[in-house]
Amino acid sequence: MATKIINKTVTEFSLRITRCFFVPSKTIQTNATLFQERLETSITNVEEQLPTTIRPPLPIIHSRKLAFPPKFKAPRQVWVSNMDTVEEEKLGLIDLHPEVFAERPRVDIIHENVRWQQLYRHVSYANTKMRYEVRGGGKKPRQQKGSGRSRHGSIRSPIWRGGGIVHGPRSPTPYFYMLGFNTRLNGLRSTLSAKLAQDDLHIVDSLDIPTDDPSYLEKLVEERGWGPAVLFVDDNDIMPLNITAASDSYGHYNLMPVYGLNVYSMLKHHTLVLTLAAVERLEERLLFHLNRNDAASAGQKYRLDSV
Amino acid sequence: MASVAARSFVFRQQMNTRRFDFASCLNIKSFYSSYSANPKEKSPENYTQYHEVSSDNWKFVERLKPPTVVPSFPKNGSCFSDWTPPPDTPPNLPYFVKRTKNFMVPVYLNFEAVRNQRKITMVKHIEGDIWALEKAIKSHLEEVTKRQVVSQVHEVAMYIKFRGDYVLHVKKWLLNAGF
Repeated sequence: MATKIINKTVTEFSLRITRCFFVPSKTIQTNATLFQERLETSITNVEEQLPTTIRPPLPIIHSRKLAFPPKFKAPRQVWVSNMDTVEEEKLGLIDLHPEVFAERPRVDIIHENVRWQQLYRHVSYANTKMRYEVRGGGKKPRQQKGSGRSRHGSIRSPIWRGGGIVHGPRSPTPYFYMLGFNTRLNGLRSTLSAKLAQDDLHIVDSLDIPTDDPSYLEKLVEERGWGPAVLFVDDNDIMPLNITAASDSYGHYNLMPVYGLNVYSMLKHHTLVLTLAAVERLEERLLFHLNRNDAASAGQKYRLDSV
Repeated sequence: MASVAARSFVFRQQMNTRRFDFASCLNIKSFYSSYSANPKEKSPENYTQYHEVSSDNWKFVERLKPPTVVPSFPKNGSCFSDWTPPPDTPPNLPYFVKRTKNFMVPVYLNFEAVRNQRKITMVKHIEGDIWALEKAIKSHLEEVTKRQVVSQVHEVAMYIKFRGDYVLHVKKWLLNAGF
């Protein structure tokens, strides 16, 4: 009985975790004993089985060189936490560049970004028939003169009841447009700044957790007072196995690579958790675009109305 | 089976534009559809000679390439234009006007023409007490031009607009203020 349950959960895992290690379900079923021990320990008792984390003397991370050092604005300092234990352990204090994380949040730009993200992929399938599409209406209803009544050419003209609609919705109508490059750039800056200012931004050293049990992640988030929905952002798009497995059953814990970071997702999730690597990459990219020599070519590939 | 997609339109174009020349029809470019159909590379003596130059000479190529990021300005030496570098310490004022990424003073002349040529002087990249800055610049402009100046303060986007062409006056005032 126990073996059957374990086999079922193992196959479920293997089907859902596709990005980490591809393990065919057949081999898992036959070699269930290999995973049995690990699963038994993770299902039964989390706290007892976790290895005690041994750390060098803190602070581990204590300095960070900022690219394009800010002249008159002070860098914002944030704690670097761990993901090894449920309780938060501060590993160090790092600087964040003020031009990325301490900009005056432009609510109008954030709104524009959210509107763009929702609208650019929207296609309206609403449709109405025009006078030539409505069934019938090919024949002149009555002769032009003599009847004493008004003159008409077709019973489906727009002035008739049941006639065609002149300026109605025509399916499919795309609402695609590209928001300006700098608007999108400033949207990211504004949202990151707002998140940091509202204590919804946390930095962790990496997304490695000791177990793939979903309840570990839930306990961790609850313990630290992170919001109901958490967005974990790392530089790499292939995330560690444990956090992928743990967050898989939750719709509100999401993993995202840095290149997928967007204003809508940051607002949708209450808490934003960045790894150190993600912070480095984010700052490097955003600061490059803010200080690049050829600003015009930044938006070149998004120009749609010019050849 | 190799199918030759010959660019004979090149030949036809040449025919139309200039007099027919037998040599011109040898300029047909052929693009073969598969790798195996293409003529293979011949031995090196069939091609033009080349010699490797020392890799130290790459610096002559690199210095021709434009910089990807705005380079810093030279600290010493005078500029023959009236550009002054941004100061190292900010002035002791409740507001601050940041230079652009090219170290220019952020004052622009806009033409917001509906029917007439309405010139607007715009000051961007403002931080701090924007109203105090507006008051200071406005009083200076009214003193200099001896006429009333109309202004707009946009607190969200943090810019100030003055109706009229006062770009040089505003720039001078900002440089004197120490921005």
